Amino acid sequence: MKNTPLTRATGTVFLTVFLLLTLLIAVQGSFETRAQIAGTFASLSQIDEAQIALEELLRLQIDEENSLRGYALTRDPFYVSQYRVAAAGYDAKVNAVRAILREQKLTGVEQLLGTYAQLQSGWRKDIAMRLLQHPGQRLEELDKRNKLFSDYETGTAAAIRQALAATDDALARSTQSQLDRSAYVRVFWLVGFGLLAILFNSYRSQLNRELEEERAITRILQRAFRSESVPLPHCEVGSAYLSATNHMAVGGDVFDVYRLSDNRALILIADISGKGVDAAVLTAFIKFMIRAIALRKSEPSAILAEFNTAFSKAVGDPYLFVSMFVGVLDTGTFRLEYASAGHDCAFVRRRGDGVSPLSITGPILGVMEEPFGSETLDLRPGDTLVLTTDGLTEVRNRAGVQLLEQGAMELIERASPGAQQLADELIAQVRARGGSRVTDDLAVLAIRVVDSEVPRA
Amino acid sequence: MRRAVLALALLWLAAVAPAGADCKFHRGEQVVLYSTTDDPSVLIWDSRERLRDYRAASFDEAQAMLPHALLVAPGTHATVVSCVANYIESPTFHAPQDAIGVVISSGPRRGLTRWVLSSDVRLVH
Repeated sequence: MKNTPLTRATGTVFLTVFLLLTLLIAVQGSFETRAQIAGTFASLSQIDEAQIALEELLRLQIDEENSLRGYALTRDPFYVSQYRVAAAGYDAKVNAVRAILREQKLTGVEQLLGTYAQLQSGWRKDIAMRLLQHPGQRLEELDKRNKLFSDYETGTAAAIRQALAATDDALARSTQSQLDRSAYVRVFWLVGFGLLAILFNSYRSQLNRELEEERAITRILQRAFRSESVPLPHCEVGSAYLSATNHMAVGGDVFDVYRLSDNRALILIADISGKGVDAAVLTAFIKFMIRAIALRKSEPSAILAEFNTAFSKAVGDPYLFVSMFVGVLDTGTFRLEYASAGHDCAFVRRRGDGVSPLSITGPILGVMEEPFGSETLDLRPGDTLVLTTDGLTEVRNRAGVQLLEQGAMELIERASPGAQQLADELIAQVRARGGSRVTDDLAVLAIRVVDSEVPRA
Repeated sequence: MRRAVLALALLWLAAVAPAGADCKFHRGEQVVLYSTTDDPSVLIWDSRERLRDYRAASFDEAQAMLPHALLVAPGTHATVVSCVANYIESPTFHAPQDAIGVVISSGPRRGLTRWVLSSDVRLVH
């Protein structure tokens, strides 16, 4: 099944949005994982800090006890001061460790440390104070109580160590798990992106193939629909086309220069109501039908009359109408016989004598079946027949003012003498005047009579 | 009299104590008492139940039990007379510990029969 332009746009937008969304989630996820891992590392660091502080705490406690032993044995006041320094250090360290435990919400461990601190406080009161006051009084009962304190403190310290180590392990496992998850998620996104990229590329390739096929078809169709001109003896033929549908070279205007015989040429320009591909299809119909009629009938008015009848019957659309200029040029005498079905954009530029419009000889085609008249125009070397569609006269400037017939004639008069340059300049003028406001197709056909034969392109 | 009491105690210990196949220490082994490096002195108990209860008790309960314990200096020698494997459990132990029945063979407590924790006992090499 072919993709329609809407499907293509929807598909591309969907894939792009999906890809962007995926990218956004991946980036956000990465930041989140990074924050989680950073948080875990910070906790790990604090637990390590608490473990170190705990060991320092225990060392200070031993210092405290050993200082007391030293005093009991020697009665040297130096040990009392050592005892007091160790005791102060111990208290400060307990507070530091408790702060860390509170921050890490390790309530159980903090309670153990509280018990430990209470035991130490009890030891100071029951043992240390008594020994400091009566250093010679080392009763066995006192020693036993000292041992009791020591046992309990050792047990509590072991429990605290165990709890901190368990927390440390849990955090390490959590970090490992986060890192693993992060790695898996990265692999997932990488594979996801890869698959999406492949899908995107495949989709794009398919679109390119389809677009290429369509381009090929369009080229073929454009060849059929394109306005054509052939070289004429002693004439310069110039033409240009401006489509209101920007990306298409086809539209609702058509011109044709066709050799009917050695010295007779059909000259046609027509403007179909409407534009775009639908109108372009009709231009092909008009071009070939007029050629066919002109091969049988030499009078332009008769050509228009027969076409009018056939057109109404063949197309059968009461809202569709065509303005058309048909001329038959004798390339030996440069006499032009023409008929104009409501086509008011036909001009002749006389060498050194200005520009004048060519008269309309009948109604617009497809509206009514009225008779068409014919006119004759004798061209001289240097004269130029300029046929355009209403895209020239109706182009508006920035202020919204139309160029109209007078403005068109002034442009034609000022244009370069060469037929092709004239056609190109008119298109350029319309582009410059209308800019993005050009809404109608414009066809320009210029035939300039010259003295000598113009070499074929 | 003292010898008779000791003999009776030994008989009683032998009767109540299991074979001690899983024990770290065996009857007749010469050991030295030494506790933790924080405080190497050793509490010796008049019954293995008190020894066990001391390790499971709260601080106040343990303090109340202290009259049933004696404190001996680190390095006190003793002879193993009994062993109850895995008898004492405590949250602070990695694994249950044995209760060791010993007769003190040095120091002022020489000749006393008491119970000690297996981690407070070292073999004499």
